[in-house]
Amino acid sequence: MSIRRTLGTLWQSLFRTSRLDRELDEELRGYLDDLIEKKIRAGADRASARRAAMIEMGGMTQVKAEVRRVRPGAGIEALWQDARFTWRALIRKPAFAAVTIITFALGIGTNTAIFSIVNSILIQPLPYRDASELVSVWIDMTSAGFPKAPLSGPELGDLRQRGTLFSSFGGVWPNSTTITGDREPEQLTIGRVTANFFDTLGAPAFLGRTFESNDEAQGARLTVVLSYATWQRRYGGDPSVVGRSVIVDGGPATIIGVMPEDFRLLLPPDAGVPENLEAFVPFGARVVYGSRATRFLRIVGRMKPGVTLDQAGQQITQIGEAVTKEFTSYSRASRLFTMAGLQSEGAKELRPRLLALLAGVAILLLTACLNVASLLIARAASRTKETALRLAIGASYRQIVRQCLVEGFILSLIGGAAGIIFGEFSLRALITLRPEALGRLALVRIDTTVLVFTAAAALLSGMLFSFAPMVEVFRTDLIEGLLDTRRRFGTVRYRARAALVVLQIAFGLMLLVGAGLMIRTFVSIQRLDTGYTIERMLSFRVNVPGYGPIETLNDFHRRLQTELAALRGVTGVGAVSHFPFDTIPNWGGPYYLKDGPDPSAPFADFRAVSPGYLETVGARLKEGRFFREADDSSTQRVIIIDDLLAKRAFPGENPIGKRISLNPEFNRRNWMTVVGVVRHMRLRSFVEDLSEQIYLPIRQSTRPTSYVLRTTGDPAALSGPVRDVIRKLDPQLPIYDMRPAEQYLVSARSAQRFIMLLATSFAVVALMLAFVGVFGLVTYSVNIRRHEFGVRLVIGARSREIIGLVLHEGLVLLGAGLLLGVAGAAALAGLLHNQLFGVTAFDFPTYALAIVVIAIAAFTASWFPARRASQSNPLDVLRTD
Amino acid sequence: MARQTELLKGTLDLLILRSLELEPRHGLGVAERIEQVTRGTFIVKPGSLFPALHRLERQGFIDGEWILSAAGKRAKSYRLTAAGKKQLSAEKKAWARIAGAVGQMLEEQEG
Repeated sequence: MSIRRTLGTLWQSLFRTSRLDRELDEELRGYLDDLIEKKIRAGADRASARRAAMIEMGGMTQVKAEVRRVRPGAGIEALWQDARFTWRALIRKPAFAAVTIITFALGIGTNTAIFSIVNSILIQPLPYRDASELVSVWIDMTSAGFPKAPLSGPELGDLRQRGTLFSSFGGVWPNSTTITGDREPEQLTIGRVTANFFDTLGAPAFLGRTFESNDEAQGARLTVVLSYATWQRRYGGDPSVVGRSVIVDGGPATIIGVMPEDFRLLLPPDAGVPENLEAFVPFGARVVYGSRATRFLRIVGRMKPGVTLDQAGQQITQIGEAVTKEFTSYSRASRLFTMAGLQSEGAKELRPRLLALLAGVAILLLTACLNVASLLIARAASRTKETALRLAIGASYRQIVRQCLVEGFILSLIGGAAGIIFGEFSLRALITLRPEALGRLALVRIDTTVLVFTAAAALLSGMLFSFAPMVEVFRTDLIEGLLDTRRRFGTVRYRARAALVVLQIAFGLMLLVGAGLMIRTFVSIQRLDTGYTIERMLSFRVNVPGYGPIETLNDFHRRLQTELAALRGVTGVGAVSHFPFDTIPNWGGPYYLKDGPDPSAPFADFRAVSPGYLETVGARLKEGRFFREADDSSTQRVIIIDDLLAKRAFPGENPIGKRISLNPEFNRRNWMTVVGVVRHMRLRSFVEDLSEQIYLPIRQSTRPTSYVLRTTGDPAALSGPVRDVIRKLDPQLPIYDMRPAEQYLVSARSAQRFIMLLATSFAVVALMLAFVGVFGLVTYSVNIRRHEFGVRLVIGARSREIIGLVLHEGLVLLGAGLLLGVAGAAALAGLLHNQLFGVTAFDFPTYALAIVVIAIAAFTASWFPARRASQSNPLDVLRTD
Repeated sequence: MARQTELLKGTLDLLILRSLELEPRHGLGVAERIEQVTRGTFIVKPGSLFPALHRLERQGFIDGEWILSAAGKRAKSYRLTAAGKKQLSAEKKAWARIAGAVGQMLEEQEG
């Protein structure tokens, strides 16, 4: 037989069935006609000839079916038929189809999204060469309030000198600088790095090169490496920027390279290094000769190949101990050199949460599958008679089973596709809403691994729930099925499934309670008394370089502040070194109350503020006074402290007039006099009182400056006038980070918001699954008890009573689920405890609301089948007996 | 009426090919020819005839063609192809072998 012919017929039988059928029809009719003719010729009259011929023919349809069966692709055609049949059946019951597909899409979708995240954060290595060799090094100064303090330059030197198990150590210090000389002046967030930093990290340049040891040599011309984004934004992606001269921080510099587009500096989130620094410049080689007490370097080390994390960690600890012995000025608390793998440290906080999340979605997928199976079983049960009928008129078990499989396959196909779309959508949503600490999320994509995972999940679930209804099919006894006399409950299987539904309700309740607690936590954080108010405030930064002595600088700032205050709608102006929750590395250190080095000197956060700042942000003065313009470089040094410091340093005394020094040499040159006490302000954490606080007059120190303006109207509307004012004073001055001040708080709350949203979405999905679970099971038992209900209706039961009977079943499930769920939630409460703020783990309103919500869901889920049961025509049901 | 005999599996194909050896025929023609030649031993019903015809056509042993009959009606006529002829002679040989073997077996038992 020729292949072409077969393919031709295959083509025809699949897509031109109608033509083939028409021809077959004609051929058979011709045969019949001939047969009739023959009988007439043999002497029969037309009518009896026709009848005899028809009998002999033996049923046109059967003959056609027989012929079709020998055609090539008959199997495919049958599948196609099954598919069309399934499609029609699904269309006929769109609610069933929708519930099934949504259930499936939820399971697959959440799995796709969460697995994509887990994959990229825990499974995929960091995007650097041999990333498993990279470690992060810090000093554990927990006792001083800094669990992960950076290192000083000399300490980096110690590591390099004594770290024999490492091939290199590099350091980075996030900072900002002004770039001018070719285009408009611009303030860039930069990383000052050691020359070997990129080599240590194993991140090559996209254009040009990264730094070499020559770049940090004494007297070398300053070199700059741009980020891809900066290169695009400032230079429009012009490749000729490599080699160009610019002015960086007032000095000449050369651009030597551009980093790749996907380069991110993925240090642990608590290192405080932004992942998307805009440019990099090298430190001088002298960085390792600075003060031992000035700690600012975030260290990345590369272990030699074959060295384990344990060995390397021991060496780091030993170096710390040795260094502590040699330099006695170290305080006891500061010698703990600590190290961890860069990747594991970066994911440290996330790892358990991600794994819990993954376990959670796996459970969701499983329950989703079981729910779909449950729905299909319910449907198969309602179609027992149809199945029996089909078996009776000649369908083989094989055909019925095939049809079930096709149905499962189609549902899983649509559900899987919907799931991938839903997954992509939720992944994007998660990325958009990600907290800043989860920078890596931005790089998460649905990749091949995830697609394979999802496809496998879809297929597996497809198989799972195709087989479920077969149980019903094989239970279909021909005679019993047709007579519909089977009224027994499949008690064992029913109980197993009821247990599953109870679990789902419990699970849903637990997640609802969790989500409720997270929402209340978020709300309390939002309502929290931070000690200041920054609504209706505009903030921006200016960098004022090259103004010479502090007096000139102060003059400039005084003029600027006066002019800003004169703007229409401005009710207050202030300048500060660190705005609450901004991304500038914290400024803090020990303070001393008496002369001499004190290893146990307490730490405080330092903030330089202008006169008017504390008033503008609404700080509450408890004693003394705020700063005045007179508190400048020409008068005695003064400070304002917060009430926490006052309580610790001067318990029971009036702190006004007391002296504090930030230098162990406690003398007239260093000490500062307390002139005021303000209530502690939450500047770095919403939920904890972190460090005590010392406010210094900005006119007595030189710090980069953020301005804030309080306004009566929309703060964003002020940005134009503000720019005009600054341009008038100095057109070369870069202004940056101009935004409503509230945004800093919003993004600081983003982690909490993220957790809340995640918890809420989980709860919603779990709620829907519980709904589907109850719906599926109650529908199933309604289908099985249809006969019973028919009898009840006939002997006088009212539909209300039938509804009551069905609802009763749903309520029993609900009751069991609630008991279990409350117990589970209470057990979880212990774990949640330290994630909560402003609400207890046993918050009654949360529990009550969660119970109400899930009760409504379960009630509604039982209501639909109940109403259907009550509306069934008793005669229809009974007639089949 | 002649006694009818169950067709051995595969025999029908042989009979159809054989009936088309001399001239093309349409469906009823094939059935009549088989009935006639076997003197009514085999009556081929449409339920087995047409599937067999279509299968043989697909295998390329026969070729169906729509022609106009003498009465002016369209009818599908089947003719033996070259491949069909080869197949027929192969099947004839195979059949002869089987028939001989079976016959021998029967004779021995009777004898």
